[in-house]
Amino acid sequence: MSLLKPFSKLPGLNTANILLVENEEQFQQKLADTVVLQEKTVNVNVRLARSLPLPMENEESRPRIDLVVFIIHLTSELSFQSAETSLKYLDPGYFQGKVCFLVTSARNVSVPPERLVSVRKLAASLHCPLLCAEDQTTEGVTTAAHRLLAILKVAAGLVPMATGLYLSTLTRCTVPSDIDQQNFE
Amino acid sequence: MDDSTKHILQRLMRRIPSQMLQTMLGKWAHLSREDLHSLDFTQPKWVLTEHLLALCEENGLRVKHITELEMIYIIENPNQGMWHGFQLLDAEEDAPSIELTQFKEQFKANLTELISHVSIKIKKHTDEAIWIRVAWGDNFTKPYHLKPTYVVHHLQTPYVFVTGLTSKYKPLLNQALVLATRYGSMKDAHLSGRNLTAIRDLLMRQYQQVFPTKNPKPLQEKNPVPRNPNIEKEQAENTENRLQMACEAFGDGTLPQLQKAVYKLETKFRDNSNKTLTGREEPFRGVVEFASTNLLESLRHCVSSGMASTPVTPLLSSITQKGRNYFVITDKGV
Repeated sequence: MSLLKPFSKLPGLNTANILLVENEEQFQQKLADTVVLQEKTVNVNVRLARSLPLPMENEESRPRIDLVVFIIHLTSELSFQSAETSLKYLDPGYFQGKVCFLVTSARNVSVPPERLVSVRKLAASLHCPLLCAEDQTTEGVTTAAHRLLAILKVAAGLVPMATGLYLSTLTRCTVPSDIDQQNFE
Repeated sequence: MDDSTKHILQRLMRRIPSQMLQTMLGKWAHLSREDLHSLDFTQPKWVLTEHLLALCEENGLRVKHITELEMIYIIENPNQGMWHGFQLLDAEEDAPSIELTQFKEQFKANLTELISHVSIKIKKHTDEAIWIRVAWGDNFTKPYHLKPTYVVHHLQTPYVFVTGLTSKYKPLLNQALVLATRYGSMKDAHLSGRNLTAIRDLLMRQYQQVFPTKNPKPLQEKNPVPRNPNIEKEQAENTENRLQMACEAFGDGTLPQLQKAVYKLETKFRDNSNKTLTGREEPFRGVVEFASTNLLESLRHCVSSGMASTPVTPLLSSITQKGRNYFVITDKGV
């Protein structure tokens, strides 16, 4: 199986590489543009993909991926399922602070709440952070890019005294035990 | 001018939007220059209608002149009502050499033979299309002008487009057209929509088509967005393939505007998890309808963005390949 491995390549100097995985291929482009524009001090490379596994042809030219972000649109069940199947193609080494989940439309009324619950459970079981983003406005995109850059720099080892594993113990998603009995009082 | 004529003119005036009124009346050419100048187009429409009625009375205009105005309006704005496509079959030897006057005479003769009280107007438009307006009456009543049928035919092509035809008069119109164009028969092309240009482009394949090639190159974008060297797509080849397949199935550029695709299913129910419905002898009848403001554009986007699986299923691609939007699917095929 062609697993994506976190430490099989050498890192670049002052470089951070992020992989955005999204089934719909819409939000990732906007996010990529903003991320590259926002970051001035570090050289950020963004790779865009629809799902894993990544094509073998790019294996040589692909740099070491520091952070894999799964973008899940809660409005579509297919988005979630595609992300779940892509997870199998990640080496377990990634789950120590190098994977992040990003959901959009969490506030949307028409979205079934069970979907967000399942995404939270998935993120919690993998000890990964779960970010909520607003993809329709530029401020939303900028905020999401800002947060992703913060996690990316730690995951790439560019922040002294912090590693991805440290950060993930602080930021990982937790699921309260009564999440299945949601009541809004 | 009798009451029914006045009524027809009033209905027509209500139908034509105010912005187009001046140009339409100008094209009509039955009012003299002074009369046309005397109409004040800034007044509310009902005042204008009264004024126009008075002018028509003065000039002694009759029903046939009013229907000319209606025809001019419809030719300029054909995208209203529901148009249906028909195809002529079994051409005889002299079918390709029919020309306009011959067609006109034959059609008028045939139709008046079949039904004595009809009002027929034939006009040739600048883009080589023949427009026919038919108002139907029967053996005892005068033609009814408020529900006319419009027919568009391009000479030397086997396609006819009709709107406003009831099933009562369909066989009569069929026969007249078939005889006048020297073909054997006419069948329903199963293509209908609100936009005449779209239906015509689809049947006559006048949209931008993409043909499969042995060495596919990515489709060149018209204004390539400058790519940021830091951003790279991992699965760019897949995206290009999908776009290529979508354009092969549906076409490139602006697509004809279809509103609906209807699939009538007459297949047996096949789902093993539902025991009550599976295994019955009679087919499970159902109708699947796709509706959109621009259906082909939506389908092309579905395929190129990966929502619909590639290669494109022949059920969807036959909309463009066969030029139809009504399909009956049986167990043996479409």
